[in-house]
Amino acid sequence: MKAFAKIHPFVLMIYFLTIVTVSMFVSNPVIKLLSLAGAFLFSFMLTDKKEKLEDIKFYLPLALLIAVTNPLFSHNGETPLFFMNGNAVTLEAVFYGIDISVMIISVMLWFKSCNIIMSSDKLIYLFGRIMPKTALIISMAIRFIPMLKRRINEVSRAQKTMGLYSVQSYTDRLHSLVRVISAVIGWSLEGAVETSRSMKSRGYALKGHTCYSDYKFTGKDTAILSVFISLTALAFWGTSGGCLRFYFYPVISELNTDFRAVVTYSAFGVLAFFPFLFEVEENIRWTYYRSKISALRTQEQKSRL
Amino acid sequence: MKNKKNLISALILLGGIPVIMAVGFLLFGGKQYAFISAGVAVLSCVPFFMSFERNSDNNSVKLVIIAVMTALSVTGRVLFSMLYGIKPVTAIIIITAIYLGSETGFMVGSVTALVSNFFFGQGIWTPFQMFTWGLIGFIAGIISEKLKHNRLILYAYGALSGIAYSLIIDIWSVLWNYGEFDASKYPVLISSSLVFTLIYAVSNVIFLMLLAKPIGSKLERITIKYGI
Repeated sequence: MKAFAKIHPFVLMIYFLTIVTVSMFVSNPVIKLLSLAGAFLFSFMLTDKKEKLEDIKFYLPLALLIAVTNPLFSHNGETPLFFMNGNAVTLEAVFYGIDISVMIISVMLWFKSCNIIMSSDKLIYLFGRIMPKTALIISMAIRFIPMLKRRINEVSRAQKTMGLYSVQSYTDRLHSLVRVISAVIGWSLEGAVETSRSMKSRGYALKGHTCYSDYKFTGKDTAILSVFISLTALAFWGTSGGCLRFYFYPVISELNTDFRAVVTYSAFGVLAFFPFLFEVEENIRWTYYRSKISALRTQEQKSRL
Repeated sequence: MKNKKNLISALILLGGIPVIMAVGFLLFGGKQYAFISAGVAVLSCVPFFMSFERNSDNNSVKLVIIAVMTALSVTGRVLFSMLYGIKPVTAIIIITAIYLGSETGFMVGSVTALVSNFFFGQGIWTPFQMFTWGLIGFIAGIISEKLKHNRLILYAYGALSGIAYSLIIDIWSVLWNYGEFDASKYPVLISSSLVFTLIYAVSNVIFLMLLAKPIGSKLERITIKYGI
């Protein structure tokens, strides 16, 4: 498990909500590039070598496709680069295409990391307090999916042994499929009633029943949360009033570099790189401890000799 | 009790939407419409979930049955994920809503969107899918008597909800990609997803034809047998 995933789920949720909201909705190229860099580095730490290659194969063409599509279809902007089929391909549209592609890729990468870090049990833990019934449905549904797949397999095998499957005719196959699904649903719904009886007899609906949870809010979590909140507050202070607003059409607007904007950029930069730096710090500490252990071991062996 | 519930739901919508709009305009200038629409989609789901949580009729039997039906539609989406636009999700949501009511329909629809995205990847589209599928189930529950007794209306509703699903998701795509609702780009997007929409609508009707009887009779039987 990654070190970042060990932070309390509540803190993680606040972090991912903030970072995704900002990278998706703040239209400023510096913010978007910082977000992309942070997302890229962090997701690179979470994946193994094979997955990294697959990611590059997937995201790079996608980014190019998005970036190229915009100038081909949008002819806004005042600086034509060249003409194609009588339509101007403008500088502004090219940059806007790159901007969109940076935004979409960074948001996708953040969601990818979020899907790895925020496992479904963490989400259920978070929402179980405010919506206990919904959280219970979600966790049971996740558990029922492999069960249903197994039962569909079992029933269709049984049907095959009875000779009810004919491979030749499509309508026959369709009818067999419907029969299998019908059987599985009947089976699973009866099972559902049994499950609920068992839940009831074990005191599910009684007052004062407790839920198991593996998460404790430690001092470290408090510290990390306060860092997140202060950085976010700083960034939002800078964003409010449209001081970071950036336009591509009709002419690319100038980048704001006054004090307020620079403070916002750096606050957001720290926020975007936080998970990556957190992992790096943890890795360094790990290698330090390991080298210390092996040094101790060699020392011991020497003293024995 | 019921009045209080409605009041809280109304307050969430009446109070929450202006707050989201204010935040959108103040902080996310240029992208405010995309932010506001995502926020409104999340908020619109809240009253449904709240009333579900508070309804004491929702005992453990109902919870487990909702979980089974959700798992079934998610499994369907996973099994058919290789086939472009074909998924039995809408059909299963509609059939469940007909026999178990609009509240259950909304829950099965929205939880299906949430849980299946654990497999396909969560994203900003999740609240939109949750709301759209939930609404398809909710409306099916309201007009359940008509859908139950007239096959033609049932198929028409299935086709219509497939088209409505694509149209609503396309509104979101326009907002997200262009920053504002551009009426000239909406038809372009609709026509580009025309094939998907058609396949989706037709496959909904086919799945309803195939599944309405077997799933419906099982659900009807269980409600009568155990008095749900």
